[in-house]
Amino acid sequence: MAAMKKKYSFLTGIVIGSFLFYMLLPIVATYVFSIATRWDRTILPEGLTLEWYKVAFADDWFFIVFKNSLVLSISTVLVSVIIIVPTAYWVHLRNPKARPLFDLISIIPFAIPGVVLALGLIRLYAHPPLMIGRTPAMLVAAYVIFTMPFMYRPVINSLEAVNIRVLTEAAQSLGSSWLRTITQVILPNILPGMLNGGLLVFAIIFGEFTIATFLVGARFKTFPMQLVYFTRRDGRIASAYTVISFTIAWVSSLIILWVVTWGAKRTSMRNTQHTKGLFAGDVVEQK
Amino acid sequence: MSYLDLIHLDKAFDGVTAVRDFNLQVEQGEFVSLLGPSGCGKTTTLRMVAGFETPNKGSIFLAGTDITSVPPNHRGMGMVFQSYALFPNMTAWNNVAFGLRVARLSTSAINKRVTELLDMVGLSDAGHKYSTELSGGQQQRVALARALAIEPKVLLLDEPLSALDAVVRVSLRHEIRRIQTTLGITTIYVTHDQEEALSISDRVVVMRRAVIEQIGTPEEIYVQPVTHFVATFVGTINQFPGILVDASRGLVANNNRNWTISAQPVPDGELKEGDAVNVLIRPDEIRVSHTETVVNEENRLTAVIKAITLLGAVTRLNLDFDGQPVIADIKTVDRGRFILDEPVQLSFTREACHVMPDIEPVSRGI
Repeated sequence: MAAMKKKYSFLTGIVIGSFLFYMLLPIVATYVFSIATRWDRTILPEGLTLEWYKVAFADDWFFIVFKNSLVLSISTVLVSVIIIVPTAYWVHLRNPKARPLFDLISIIPFAIPGVVLALGLIRLYAHPPLMIGRTPAMLVAAYVIFTMPFMYRPVINSLEAVNIRVLTEAAQSLGSSWLRTITQVILPNILPGMLNGGLLVFAIIFGEFTIATFLVGARFKTFPMQLVYFTRRDGRIASAYTVISFTIAWVSSLIILWVVTWGAKRTSMRNTQHTKGLFAGDVVEQK
Repeated sequence: MSYLDLIHLDKAFDGVTAVRDFNLQVEQGEFVSLLGPSGCGKTTTLRMVAGFETPNKGSIFLAGTDITSVPPNHRGMGMVFQSYALFPNMTAWNNVAFGLRVARLSTSAINKRVTELLDMVGLSDAGHKYSTELSGGQQQRVALARALAIEPKVLLLDEPLSALDAVVRVSLRHEIRRIQTTLGITTIYVTHDQEEALSISDRVVVMRRAVIEQIGTPEEIYVQPVTHFVATFVGTINQFPGILVDASRGLVANNNRNWTISAQPVPDGELKEGDAVNVLIRPDEIRVSHTETVVNEENRLTAVIKAITLLGAVTRLNLDFDGQPVIADIKTVDRGRFILDEPVQLSFTREACHVMPDIEPVSRGI
């Protein structure tokens, strides 16, 4: 029995170890490559340096492309939330019959390659009278479509998980207006889904290259465009860019997780203190 | 005009009638249950009162005011749902306080009221807990406190105990009744559990297939059912199929099985002699005795005991009367007097026998 258990845990270790090795190797290699003096003639890097980060940060374009990508990512997340969350809520609560249609629409972006979407949008909007193609605003609009499944799915799943219809009715029966119901009951309960979706959308857009290149090109350079530029010039600087990109994605994830956890704890603590204080008062009154 | 008037309410979904010509007058402080099988329209009726559904026809008046088109958040109806519907992002305390905050009460007034209500439902120590940290029964108590917090004009309960286990269900239903009586709050309670409806209501509305079958006190519903459906749905009942021989004397006969039963007289016009009918008798109305015992009841049959089942204070006998199954309930203290496969005498008064038209019995009957 003990031998079987040992064999089982050994196999589990092999499976998990192989998975982690497969997933982490390219990331670790990129990190090492970004601090290697040279790593194309030997098994291990010939030396270590932070030179490529210096070059990356010293580049005039670095902060411009960083800012551009940040603006694009945040704008896309905000527009996605503003458009998709109310739509998902409306479909789920008021028009469940339209649900299959919206489910279908939400997966269309998976079927359309970025190039096709970009060229289609250019053809549609870059001719008079609508000359709004090839602008950052157009790019955000395209990104909202492109990333729709990543926002729509988690939000709709959250709505299903908390039985939002009954919660809405419960709030209404207590006299709550629509605005209060949405802000105090619905949004807090689908926040995990919105954050999940927002995080995915942010990460995807921060690293998106194809649509941005086709739609706006050099008019509005983004972080991945500069990364590709350095890939052609020096792979080590490109690696430094990639590491910075990874780090931004991870830090933003951690910040969001920290904010949510802190928010939940704060609410919980406030309620506990409030309740405890009140019951203590009760005892005094009874005396 | 009563406190709450539901007048000729009709509701259909995609052409399928859910409620038809529903009329009910509820007095202030009254506890009325809507009872019926799934899909009979009881929940739709409750949702129309709450304002979540708009009737296709008819009106709802509350204290003389037409509220048919008033949105749910302006009706002042407290609602308790089957699935509890506590806000998961709030503690029990904040759930109860929600409606009071909406009403813009002062913090001290909110604190006082929430404390009172949590105390009333026996959860004064659980205010800091989230719904996931509470049992089903506790969640429903919080939901009840939350609905009562706003001092609703009418308390609406939609199968509030269906998701709970049997023991909690029984204790909580008595608690609901106790609180309702204490506060004198007008209450409409939806349930498919006839025992629940009979045990806590002032009046019961039995529904079937979108229409009301009978409105009456629990006793009237149980003892004087006016339709075959009510008789068979509420409680257990024996059915003796036969032919109406004499309507004015309530005589029903079955020549194949060679019996005649004297039942309550059939009112004029409802049935005519020669009609196929059912004589319905409650198991507790049947007296079981040994064959040689002399009894006073008008009706006497001989049947054989096929099963004896202890149900608690009552023991149920399953008997065979010439191929016809019969159920009789006796006091458990008397169970030792009878043995299996023994022929016994069944006797019952004519008042205990209800004559109903012979229609397809529902699943709850025998």
